[in-house]
Amino acid sequence: MRLKKTSYMFDMILFELADIVGKENVSIKKSDKIAYSVDYYWTAELWHDKGLESPEPDYIVHPENSGQVSRIMKLANEYKIPVTVWGGGAGSQGGALPVAGGIILDTKKLNKIYDIDLYSMTVTTGAGIIMQHLEDALEKQGVSTMHIPASSFCSTLAGFIVHRGTGVLSTRYGKIEDMVISMEAVLPTGEIINTPTVPKTASGPDLNSFFIGSEGTLGIITKVTLVIRKMPETREFQAFIFDNIHTGIEVGRKLMVEGIRPSVIRLYDEAETKGLIKRVLGIDKKGAYLVYGIEGHKEIVDLELKRAYKIGNEYNGEDLGSKMGKQWWDQRYKFFYPPYMFALPQAFGTCDTVATYSNVEKIYWAMKKAAEETFPDIRFIGHFSHWFDWGVMLYARFIFDDPPEDPHESLFRYNKAWNVTVRAALSEGGVINEHHGVGLKLSRMMKEQYGNSFEIIKGLKEVLDPNGILNPYKMGLGVK
Amino acid sequence: MEIEKNIETLKSCRYCPMCRHVCTSGNLSYHESDYPRGRGLLLDKIYNNNLEYDPDIVNSIYNCFLCGCCWSNCEGNYKMHELIKSARIDIVNSGFAPQAAEDIKSRLLSGKNPFGGNNTVYKAEERKAGLLYIMGDNIKFNDHAIVRIVEDLLSKLKVDYSLLNDEPPDGKILSLLGYHKDSKELAEKLYIRINEINPKVILVSDPLVYDLLKNDYPSFGFKIDPATKVMHISQYLAKLLKNRKLKLKKSNNKITLLDSEFLGRFNKIYDEPRMILKEIAGESFVEMRWVRDKTLSAGEAAFVFNDKLFSDGNLLGKKICKEAKDIEADTIVTLSPTAKENLSGCKDLKIVDIAELVLGQLSDGL
Repeated sequence: MRLKKTSYMFDMILFELADIVGKENVSIKKSDKIAYSVDYYWTAELWHDKGLESPEPDYIVHPENSGQVSRIMKLANEYKIPVTVWGGGAGSQGGALPVAGGIILDTKKLNKIYDIDLYSMTVTTGAGIIMQHLEDALEKQGVSTMHIPASSFCSTLAGFIVHRGTGVLSTRYGKIEDMVISMEAVLPTGEIINTPTVPKTASGPDLNSFFIGSEGTLGIITKVTLVIRKMPETREFQAFIFDNIHTGIEVGRKLMVEGIRPSVIRLYDEAETKGLIKRVLGIDKKGAYLVYGIEGHKEIVDLELKRAYKIGNEYNGEDLGSKMGKQWWDQRYKFFYPPYMFALPQAFGTCDTVATYSNVEKIYWAMKKAAEETFPDIRFIGHFSHWFDWGVMLYARFIFDDPPEDPHESLFRYNKAWNVTVRAALSEGGVINEHHGVGLKLSRMMKEQYGNSFEIIKGLKEVLDPNGILNPYKMGLGVK
Repeated sequence: MEIEKNIETLKSCRYCPMCRHVCTSGNLSYHESDYPRGRGLLLDKIYNNNLEYDPDIVNSIYNCFLCGCCWSNCEGNYKMHELIKSARIDIVNSGFAPQAAEDIKSRLLSGKNPFGGNNTVYKAEERKAGLLYIMGDNIKFNDHAIVRIVEDLLSKLKVDYSLLNDEPPDGKILSLLGYHKDSKELAEKLYIRINEINPKVILVSDPLVYDLLKNDYPSFGFKIDPATKVMHISQYLAKLLKNRKLKLKKSNNKITLLDSEFLGRFNKIYDEPRMILKEIAGESFVEMRWVRDKTLSAGEAAFVFNDKLFSDGNLLGKKICKEAKDIEADTIVTLSPTAKENLSGCKDLKIVDIAELVLGQLSDGL
């Protein structure tokens, strides 16, 4: 239901929201509406840039506990008001945008750290905490979640969980979803539920997975217990240049399947090596730059470094030494700041995907071919940055340096670039996304990935959110 | 528009959320419009899409602490605090200044306490001396204790010093509020008095006044005699210590330092206060989690109008207090009167200005 601001019902609902969260925690200010109308999605930025009308919320609420979240959802169901959950607003897929208006539920005040258990090595915290604030608190105790992507500075813990975020050390410690022990969530209808105290139960499906990756469509995560780890005694790096990505992928694969346990491997294609690695790190080399990091107890690290180096050497890598590897680590976040990031007026997208080692290189070339054959003016670049025992993530990107002035035409080409690259990935055994999520951007592609099994997700949505008020239009789940 | 001078910052920051974790105002209210990205979006709408300032947008711009934490954590070196200062000038020039700022201006221009409290100024005695202590508006009206401590300290150290009787307003507050022209006019009165005296040393306790003399004066075209040294009290005391003209008793207290953004981040004064604290506390001196360029805001540009115009300084003080407790400090040493005021709610710890600490630790025989 959209309410006119002039309607007294608007004020009635405003009063009810203020009664739940306190007057200071509900806003209808124009300044806030503008600030919540743009997240990190290129289309939202484009619309803002061109002075077009962006979808804005009617109300912005800042609940401080799960009880308040519950009451907000019950109220929203009563009046059938759409609710969009906002964490850090740093998502690139448009998942936090209030496209249906209604209520923005900002979770950042759900940020209390309840317990740091150094015996069981877990932390229990409010799910709206900004990740870096959690890391700061943990660091004081000599521990970390080890989920430390660049977006830790701006994203919330729940934001990572609902988008299946991946951190820079994921190759060793897993994705955020691998770190979740249990959680408290508020269902779209307002019930507060808790998942079992530990995840490894033989008692039915894993309830955590109902909410992990749900992008604020199936519930609102309010409290989480996560695994924490001791800071490693040592963290070492080594960099190589290989002739091409084929060799680089093979080296990365070997590092994984030979039982060495790198915390990070990052392989940049020739275009990124020539462009970004030179610009950000100042390393001017031709070929594919590969860096890996190994960490833990020094004796073990020394041994693993030795074995890893042997693999790099066997494939005739140019040894850039540990210094140029450490240089990457020290400046790893610089890539994500202006002026190093792509920015409007460029049109750009990160079409990250993941696949088995057998498929991933085919996917890289298929995506590149599809992009370049469809658009003569496109640039396609990529790196491989999160490695598993069975495959690796491809962080592919496309860039139009000079997109059409007309925003509608520009968006049409942008969407088409997504279609052709993502479909190329799907056709070779990839998926529509690895760690940014689906949101609005890839909503239309969900059925293409899932086929008839998408009905399971739709059914889940129907049962959990009968009024369809939680984050409508997102993740292929449409609108009621 | 004045914000054109910072157009690259506007372009770069309007969509970038990477400094969210360190933003002082944003992490007090958690409203998107109180983070640099939110402010960038609003100013971009105004600059590029003819949106007009309204009271809510103006509040968002005035809620910024101008602390520069975002700048210190920016790989692109963008100075959001400069963009905000220029936006405030535009707001004032467009006639949209918030009433609280207007009230401060009119009080300052009529020689009254800018903060609306007691109008009694500290009674100073002016005499011919090589060292001139400038109080600044906050101390002059609201923190007589600090100037008494400094006077006591300088007397005990047998320093030939003077204050100005009827010290003119310094202009810094108006500068921070966006009243560029009025700020310069006020500052000129103080500048003329300083030049008449032409001291060897200008000593200040308030980092805002230090920043005024060091950075605003050149931008106003004011030139202080190059032979005159402008010093914060911590620098002056550190120099005495270095030259063995200051002897301090040791303390077993676990002392920590709250860096000042206007002294540290904007003027790179970090070592001198630490030299003093290490002399006093030795191994008992403990550093905060975030120090020097990465220090969190002390709230110096939030002045003391809690809940009136700016985000709540005392709320910020509670956060700082918690940081100090986390490192098990029992004393927080501050470098500015506003920082001390912001920490006034921190009841479990001792909060002292650096001059106050030194006065208490003076060795006998001086």
